[in-house]
Amino acid sequence: MSALLVAEFHEAGALTTAARAATSAGLPLADAFSPFPIEGMAELLGETSTRLRIWMFVGGIAVAALAYATEVWSAVYNYPIDSGGRPEHSWPAFLLFPFAVGIFGAALTGFIGLLVKCGLPRLHHPLFEINGFERVTQDRFMLALHAPPADADKRSAVDWLKQAGADNVWELEW
Amino acid sequence: MTARPPIAPADAGRFDIDRRRALTLLAGGMALALSSCGPPREEIVPYVSMPEGMTPGLPLTFATAVAPFGYAQGVLATSHEGRPTRLDGNPRHPSSLGAIDIFAQAEIMSLYSPDRAQAVRHGDDIAAWSAFEGALQAQLEQEKLRRGAGLRIVTGRITSPTLIRQLQALADVFPAARWLRFEPIDDDAPRAGAVAAFGEPLVTLPHLDRAKVVLTLDADPLGPGPQQLRNAAAFAKVRQSRLTPDDFLRLYAVESMWRLTGANADERLALAPQLMRNVALRVAQALGASVDAGDLPDRARRFADAVAKDLAGNKGRAIVLAGDTQPPEVHALCHWINAQLAAPVDHLPPVDANDKSHAQSLQELADDLGAGRVETLIIIDSNPAYAAPGALKLRELIGKAPFSAHLGLTDNETAQRCQWRLPMSHALEAWSDLRAVDGTASIVQPLIRPLYDTRSAHHVIGLLHGDLGADPYALVRETWQARATGDFESQWRRWLHDGVIADSAAAPVTPPQPHLPNVAPAQGTPPLTLVLAPDPSLWDGRFADNAWLQECPRPLTHEVWGNSLKIAPQDAAIHGLRDGDVVKLAHDGVTVAAPVRVQDGQPAGVVAATLGLGRNAAGAIGNGVGFDVYPLRGPAAGWHIEGVTIEATDQRHAPPTTQHHFRLDAEDKDILRTLAIDDLPRGTASSQDRGESLPSLLPRQNEDGYQWAMVIDTSVCIGCNACIIACQSENNVSVVGPEEVEAGRIMHWLRVDTYFLHEKDEPPGFQPVPCMHCEHAPCEPVCPVAASVHDGEGLNAQVYNRCVGTRFCQSNCPYKVRRFNWFAYSHDQAYANLGADTVTAQYNPDVTVRGRGVMEKCTYCVQRISRARREAEKTDTPIPDGGVVTACQSACPTRAISFGDLNRKDSSVNALRHEPHHYAMLGHLGTRPRTTYLARLNNPNPAAQDDGA
Amino acid sequence: MSSRDDRAKEALRWIAPAGRSIDAVNAIVAAPLLERQRWSWRTWWIAFAVSLALTGAMAISIAWLLIEGIGIFGNNTTVVWGFPIANYVWWIGIGNAGTLISAMLLLLRQHWRASINRFAEAMTLFAAAIAGIFPILHLGRPLYFYWLAPYPNTMALWPQWRSALIWDFWAISSYILFSLLFWYIGLVPDLATLRDRAKGTMARTLFGIFALGWRGSARHWHTLHIYHMTMACLGVPLVVSLHSVVGLDFAASLMPGWAETIFPPYFVVGAMYSGFTMVIVLAAAVRWGLRMQALITIEHFEVMAKMLLAASTIMTLSYCTEWFTAWYGGEGAERRLVVYAFTGDYRVLYWLMLVFNCVIAQAFWFPAARRSIAAVVTIGILINVGMWLERMTIVLNTLSHGYAVSMWRTYAPTLWDFLLLFGSLGFFALLFLIFCRALPVVSMHETRRLLSAEAQP
Repeated sequence: MSALLVAEFHEAGALTTAARAATSAGLPLADAFSPFPIEGMAELLGETSTRLRIWMFVGGIAVAALAYATEVWSAVYNYPIDSGGRPEHSWPAFLLFPFAVGIFGAALTGFIGLLVKCGLPRLHHPLFEINGFERVTQDRFMLALHAPPADADKRSAVDWLKQAGADNVWELEW
Repeated sequence: MTARPPIAPADAGRFDIDRRRALTLLAGGMALALSSCGPPREEIVPYVSMPEGMTPGLPLTFATAVAPFGYAQGVLATSHEGRPTRLDGNPRHPSSLGAIDIFAQAEIMSLYSPDRAQAVRHGDDIAAWSAFEGALQAQLEQEKLRRGAGLRIVTGRITSPTLIRQLQALADVFPAARWLRFEPIDDDAPRAGAVAAFGEPLVTLPHLDRAKVVLTLDADPLGPGPQQLRNAAAFAKVRQSRLTPDDFLRLYAVESMWRLTGANADERLALAPQLMRNVALRVAQALGASVDAGDLPDRARRFADAVAKDLAGNKGRAIVLAGDTQPPEVHALCHWINAQLAAPVDHLPPVDANDKSHAQSLQELADDLGAGRVETLIIIDSNPAYAAPGALKLRELIGKAPFSAHLGLTDNETAQRCQWRLPMSHALEAWSDLRAVDGTASIVQPLIRPLYDTRSAHHVIGLLHGDLGADPYALVRETWQARATGDFESQWRRWLHDGVIADSAAAPVTPPQPHLPNVAPAQGTPPLTLVLAPDPSLWDGRFADNAWLQECPRPLTHEVWGNSLKIAPQDAAIHGLRDGDVVKLAHDGVTVAAPVRVQDGQPAGVVAATLGLGRNAAGAIGNGVGFDVYPLRGPAAGWHIEGVTIEATDQRHAPPTTQHHFRLDAEDKDILRTLAIDDLPRGTASSQDRGESLPSLLPRQNEDGYQWAMVIDTSVCIGCNACIIACQSENNVSVVGPEEVEAGRIMHWLRVDTYFLHEKDEPPGFQPVPCMHCEHAPCEPVCPVAASVHDGEGLNAQVYNRCVGTRFCQSNCPYKVRRFNWFAYSHDQAYANLGADTVTAQYNPDVTVRGRGVMEKCTYCVQRISRARREAEKTDTPIPDGGVVTACQSACPTRAISFGDLNRKDSSVNALRHEPHHYAMLGHLGTRPRTTYLARLNNPNPAAQDDGA
Repeated sequence: MSSRDDRAKEALRWIAPAGRSIDAVNAIVAAPLLERQRWSWRTWWIAFAVSLALTGAMAISIAWLLIEGIGIFGNNTTVVWGFPIANYVWWIGIGNAGTLISAMLLLLRQHWRASINRFAEAMTLFAAAIAGIFPILHLGRPLYFYWLAPYPNTMALWPQWRSALIWDFWAISSYILFSLLFWYIGLVPDLATLRDRAKGTMARTLFGIFALGWRGSARHWHTLHIYHMTMACLGVPLVVSLHSVVGLDFAASLMPGWAETIFPPYFVVGAMYSGFTMVIVLAAAVRWGLRMQALITIEHFEVMAKMLLAASTIMTLSYCTEWFTAWYGGEGAERRLVVYAFTGDYRVLYWLMLVFNCVIAQAFWFPAARRSIAAVVTIGILINVGMWLERMTIVLNTLSHGYAVSMWRTYAPTLWDFLLLFGSLGFFALLFLIFCRALPVVSMHETRRLLSAEAQP
């Protein structure tokens, strides 16, 4: 249960400057919302992790390995068949199946990873309560700060945001 | 979808209308069919094991005989649970020698043919035998009064001693009755020739195996006919690679159309039949006869001189044979030449008891019918209404007989013009006896009770004797009891067991020296001539209802479901004709519409066609297939018709062919290699081509146990197609019908390839192509579901129930030997009425019947291999060499196909694979085929060729 | 920031003035979906009716196929493959372009892709799915196609992994699913936009559900970006391998004219070639039909025409390589086959193929041709015909004229072959028409991003 201060800007540039200023002013950034990715914003929010790629790699390799194992087990141990005098373990011919499904495996892991990391799907979210929030998916920009506990600080923070060019500032329990 | 060729039966759609029609028609007989399966009541003696030893699942084999041409062909009939399923050759029989031709094999199909006559018919209504018997007796009472003056019995060629006995005995009852014998493929000319030469109608049996030089003048010793198997076997003996060039037969053929003999000849001359006498005369000259040899074209003269020289130089081992198209005097001349050459030929008294010529018999019948002298007409298994020369108008005349009856397997054209149509029992359903060309007699023992309410000829002749209960079994035993020496029963058992009656063959006679007949040489060039010949697949048309034979590709042309008029390229150019153009072929006001086929090697000024097609009462299978040339024949039958005219029309349709024709380019030559016997020591078909020495990354497969392989000797393959039908009957190969063949879909697992070369107008030979069973089979690794796999014995197996039908295997098969079930050919989409229940009775229970959408192919007769293995395991001994005989191998008259185990050092295939002229087809692809070939050896005579001398 | 500057320039280059504001972009793209009343849909309905009819034809021919068996096709014992295989290769080729555009161009920082990648990816999905139908329909026993998958069965059998068809089966399945993910994840932010613009509850709910509750959080954008880039990196090898495998269906054999090492790369280029032409055709349709002139500009057509020119040149080179190797290899059958291709039964198809694939694209050396939509579209359609002919001649020449001289046969398609081909075209059109009215055909968020750069100081 924490309180958020959500400030609305009509300019991507304004949003980024405000965010930078806020961090330098020691106001803790919670999140930012925009109709398109804004460069550098993630860094400001401390989003640097690339663990998703590692998951995808692992997933891909796992699926590929499983596929290759299936081939070898079925063709060499479970039911070996003389097929045109080819070796039972024809590894070059066995590579394409693992390759194809491996890539799909990676993609699927990534997709699931993405959803988990972003906590999606989440069809309702308190932010949607904010009147006008629907425009962040179109042409508006919003910055969310962790509201200071003390009311005095909260008010000063709101003023500070207004000066920073926010059209509106909402407070919201989350 | 390709348009149905106009010649195809109007009702020959792929869908089941015909079958239903046929079924409703035959509904009556069907009940009988199913109830009456089972062995005949009388004791029949199996060939290999006693009937009491019969175990379900184990087939029994019986020796019997069938008569595709009236003459006996000894066969071994295989029967599963009392159900005959296939026929093989009887090694003890002189007209079989263990081989079997397409016609005898197809008899099994005729037995189960849905188009068989199944009930007595009076007009179109189903009647009972008793009704016919009553009517007949009444009629015979009148005949008795006039001593049979109105009774005419028409039969085909009769070689059954019992039947002959019965017929001759009729003379006592009806002295004035006449027995007329008519065989469309007659032997009038040779008989007359023999009479002219020797004073009696002796039959000439050549011994090709004792010959070094043979000349045929339109004769076809290797072609279809009663002597084919015997001659082919002899031919093979003197075409072996181990022979020295001096012992290796050289075959010269002078032909007015392509015949198998010419296709296998070392030197072939295409010549009009009228001019052939001049060739014979030149030979006679060379042998010291002072005759006028007339004139010949250069090429022919060079050829004739070379032949004459060769013949004269090989006295005692040279033969000259004249064929149907040659008049009696030329036959007589050839007898004289043979006498001078001391030719290795036998002369035998004829088996055919009727000394009248076929032409005379027919003429007499026509006259009597025309003059109303015929009161009672009994026709037994003969079809004059269709096959008689058109000039005799028998089609119309038969109806004029007040009482007429026809006994036959089908309600054919003649039956439909008779009041009584009597269904005849098949040779496998009734007791009888038969003689081969050389007189060897066999007892015909039935394998199954008649499927329908049918009777045999013996029974019907018995009726004429007034004997209602004439029993063929008793009659036959009666005949032979008279000739038995000592204990009859034991001999009878022995005869049945062997399938031949010991020393019943006629002894060769030594005829008087034939005098030199006076033969006038032919002058000038003859007018456009039509040459006729029996059809290589349908003979005289009696097999038209047989689907196997309808779809059996004619040698060289590969035509099926139809025939064509063969015309020389020069003539085609003159008339502006190309393959498939329909022409009006006319003679004496009779016109026949025929599609032409431009044929290299057809003599200019001569067109050729085969008899036996264009039938309209042959049932769902045979109706309206091809065109009928019988109507063009003059009263005296005759095998060539002078002064025919051809007139182009704007119609087009060619009979479907299972192969199109392509001339071999230089780089393809080694697909079918030829090698002159003189070059053999230098062996040009090198072992490199077996592909064994090619490098391979693939690991060596485990090759313990049996490793099956096949070697096919192309130098003795005469292209008779026996292997194709043998494979079809053994492996339940479907018939697909003309539309599907037209669409390029065929099912035969084994094909016989023929090519024409760019340089010459002659085919290099015949090449049977089954599956190659490659060790590194290209078809296997491409199959996604492992339906095409290799087994431990080197077989390339196809798992039908696993196949999903990607056809990747066939597209990757360099030999294109796989066959795909585009439709359910063996089930609900069978052609015409082939889906009838009776047809399925023929199926070999050891072989899966393939369904729609799966690939199939030659299996090396795996069912026979496993049977041999079971037998071997019982005695715990390895399968001996020759212990497995594939179907194609067993039928082959020249033993061109060898099959065996590569791991047996002493096996025949191993020996053959080390022959200098052994090679693998497309061996350079590294597929390492298990089916390999011996190059075709020939023995050309440069002096006889164009550029010759 | 340099990348931003050049993005700014790019934006000016690829987006017409009318579309140079975020609102404009949203409005233009959303209009067909949310403000349908703004224009008449007559053309759309006509197109819909036609494609529906063709789809019906396809359904009928499939039904008849299952009833009668594949004998209804024109194949014969020698030419066991025909239309279905050619159609399959052709469709899968088209199915390649979408991912190539999205993935490869994304990695190459080709910003113009923003306006076309969405419907190109949709095209990929539909084409690949249709392509997948043909190999199943051409089976003798289509109902058993699943035997290509490894699952424990009563026959205790497994797929035969050495078969190129197995590689195919898996490559296609993986590819279709991969493209679906790739496409959907790019779609989510736009679905959110539509959710928030939609007036009707129905639309709101539907878009809302599929938008997964996207709220444009910078953290999400970040992760999405990582995922998108990684998918692009994976997509390129996948798409390349896919059509290489299709090439291997032929190359992994020993038939003359098929067993060629050049096949995999040359199939990939061929796929890109036909795929791009299809994208061009669709781009023209979308631009005109959905009034996207502002977002899909002449510049796009010009740059794609250049791609075609390059591809065409590579194809020509590949054909020459084929002929050269046939001659240089010295194998009689190979040489004969090349001669047969030029002079044999299918020579007309072959010559047409060469004209369409090698010659006409050369027109794009001239800027005038590149900048005329009519010209680009016409040439594009001809090239697609040419590419279909190429697949046809690859299948037919080799099968008709292989090693076994006695079995040479020619092939004649039947009515059903054509019905299935044109039916599949209709089905594709049907799917695409529905897509146009259900989903944003241009990626709004990527276009916004492009614009943002130029908007910012």
